[in-house]
Amino acid sequence: MGSEKKPEKFVVSIGPQHPALKEPGHFEFGVEGEIVTSATARLGFVHRGMEKGTESRTWVQNLYLMERVCGICSHVHAMAYAQGVEKLAHVEVPPRARAIRELIAELERIHSHLLWLGVAAHEGGFDTLFMLSWRDRETVMDLLESITGNRVNYSANVLGGVKIDIDEAKISAIHKGMDFLEERTRHYMKVVTEDETFLGRTRNIGSMSLDLALRLGAVGPTARASGVTYDVRVDSPYAAYADFPIKVVTDTAGDLEARFVVRIKELYESFRVIRELIDHMPASELTTRIPRRMPEGEVVSRVEAPRGELFYYLKSNGSDMPERIKVRTPSLCNWGSVLSTAVGHKLADMPMILAGIDPCFSCNDRMVLVNQDNNLSTWSWEDLRQYGIEYYK
Amino acid sequence: MNISLPPLVALLLFPGGLVLLISGLVYEYADRKLVARYQNRIGPRWFQPLADMIKLLAKEEVIPTGVIKGLFIFLPIVALTAILTAALYVPMFGFKPAYSFSGDLIVTVYLLSLMTLCIGLAGANTEDRFSLVGATRALTQMFSYEAPFLFALLGPAIALGTWNIGTINAAAGQNLWFIIAQPLGFLAALIGLMGKLELSPFDAPEAETEIVAGALTEYSGRGLALFRIGRDVELVIGLTLVASFFLGGLGSPLDFLWKTLILLLVTAALQSLFARLRIDQTVGLWWRWGSILILAQLILIVIGRFVGPFIPFLGRG
Repeated sequence: MGSEKKPEKFVVSIGPQHPALKEPGHFEFGVEGEIVTSATARLGFVHRGMEKGTESRTWVQNLYLMERVCGICSHVHAMAYAQGVEKLAHVEVPPRARAIRELIAELERIHSHLLWLGVAAHEGGFDTLFMLSWRDRETVMDLLESITGNRVNYSANVLGGVKIDIDEAKISAIHKGMDFLEERTRHYMKVVTEDETFLGRTRNIGSMSLDLALRLGAVGPTARASGVTYDVRVDSPYAAYADFPIKVVTDTAGDLEARFVVRIKELYESFRVIRELIDHMPASELTTRIPRRMPEGEVVSRVEAPRGELFYYLKSNGSDMPERIKVRTPSLCNWGSVLSTAVGHKLADMPMILAGIDPCFSCNDRMVLVNQDNNLSTWSWEDLRQYGIEYYK
Repeated sequence: MNISLPPLVALLLFPGGLVLLISGLVYEYADRKLVARYQNRIGPRWFQPLADMIKLLAKEEVIPTGVIKGLFIFLPIVALTAILTAALYVPMFGFKPAYSFSGDLIVTVYLLSLMTLCIGLAGANTEDRFSLVGATRALTQMFSYEAPFLFALLGPAIALGTWNIGTINAAAGQNLWFIIAQPLGFLAALIGLMGKLELSPFDAPEAETEIVAGALTEYSGRGLALFRIGRDVELVIGLTLVASFFLGGLGSPLDFLWKTLILLLVTAALQSLFARLRIDQTVGLWWRWGSILILAQLILIVIGRFVGPFIPFLGRG
């Protein structure tokens, strides 16, 4: 139907403003009837110049800036940055601070995964699951608020430790919250694996094989749903993950259903490790002293954000401000999987495939130059500025 | 219940016209509130549909470039008119239909489909990609539920031997209720109604996360308001029709109220229970299951009418 007058390709463009996108991004899907034949993405609508911004702030100020890279996984950004700086300064963080960092990180993972569950259900037109999972997410939001004082940017880290402590009252509140959430999560697991209409939207949709996942460099739950056994928390433990380990959750199907299952099973792991953490919280100081000027050098700091591996590169020139900070967020690594699995599916599946990687637009918007013909060139600040003006015209 | 009103009153005030529009808003409110409560939300306040309507009517109507202007303005009016006309042949609020002739069932069903047709045309009229996809989906969906929906309503008609809505309504209460005698027909009629109204999970034609507002993406202000109130009124008429056929007829306003509200309770539950069906899944559902089951039931009814005198409960429906 409607195909009589179109020898040229019928392109449905989604975004930058579109109800399916909670943040601006632009996607063009070439369709034939309802079948998608091509997919392209254009990002960069919310580029904020944060990496450049770090270069004119001190190491301490940057902690607060980096926490604001992402509005959902703010703690992992601050943690990755703080760990990098501590490595630069050769400072050992006390065990209790490390355990509290892990605790907040896992609570944040719960909040992030539940948020994603709701958004993904909404993209599939299952608003009841959306509303209920977000209602339950309030439990963990309230816990985070009672522990840190904030619902979104927790600001739990300082360079050299954490600034919040856990007491008996909070421990029992967390226990109660985890029990409630575990029960609800088991229910959601039943919904996403048994509800026929929902399975019709997720099973065998957006399938990505192990080979493809490895070739595209997918990370996080998206990759683990395709069978990639890679998790920074296990492969390169940081914070207290060596003492309170988690098990890697993987699946082999690689479709949207597997991504739901992997994320929900990760929630179980988070509940378990949080209970262990608060029951066996080591006693120690919360902070150590850290110098104001960092010794010259460069480090790499990696943590497992809810969406996958988060990578920080820090370079110090010996002053109280960094020379260069490079952030690579997990969403950026996963776009390839969206664009390559989209082709061949129906237009109606696009929102769910997009949401399947749990995209976070504003944290992945950065300038990327794909160097195809191997000519190395240096761009001056003026070149970059001009390029930016042209790009957004 | 039977009252006779001067034709002008029947057309403009009751049961047509004003009262119908208000009842449409009330039922939209009830539907939204029920779905909200099922989803553990608070839901809208009682005047929200009215407020939406006033706001839309007060707003500027933007006519996009590339449309046939007359058609763009005319379609919402046709849609609303068709729906309001359909109400005259239906036992609204439990009163006898304002007008009736033998065979008005077919006319009513087609007046009700005119809404979807207008929405499809409205979408195809614009150049917007989302509208075009939405229009295609709306019409595709119409072709999938329309026949089973009609067959479902024909079930009681054939069993009672009349295609007059008023007569069916009056006779439906005197026999075994058709919801028990023809459960498949009831299901097909109710789900077909949800498809007609593009309620979730059959909201693929206006799936906001895929195609924004579907065929109505380019509509704003007055046109959108007319389409929306048209759909609200269609909800009331559809519920009335299904209740009068399958829930033992509507003899009084009280009958109307509790029977339609129970149906609304069920449709609201169905709306919140399922994930949205893709358009190919909707078509598959209707043609693979809906049509075959409803045809099987129709054959049973026809056979029942021939052997009815020998098996007491079958032929009487």
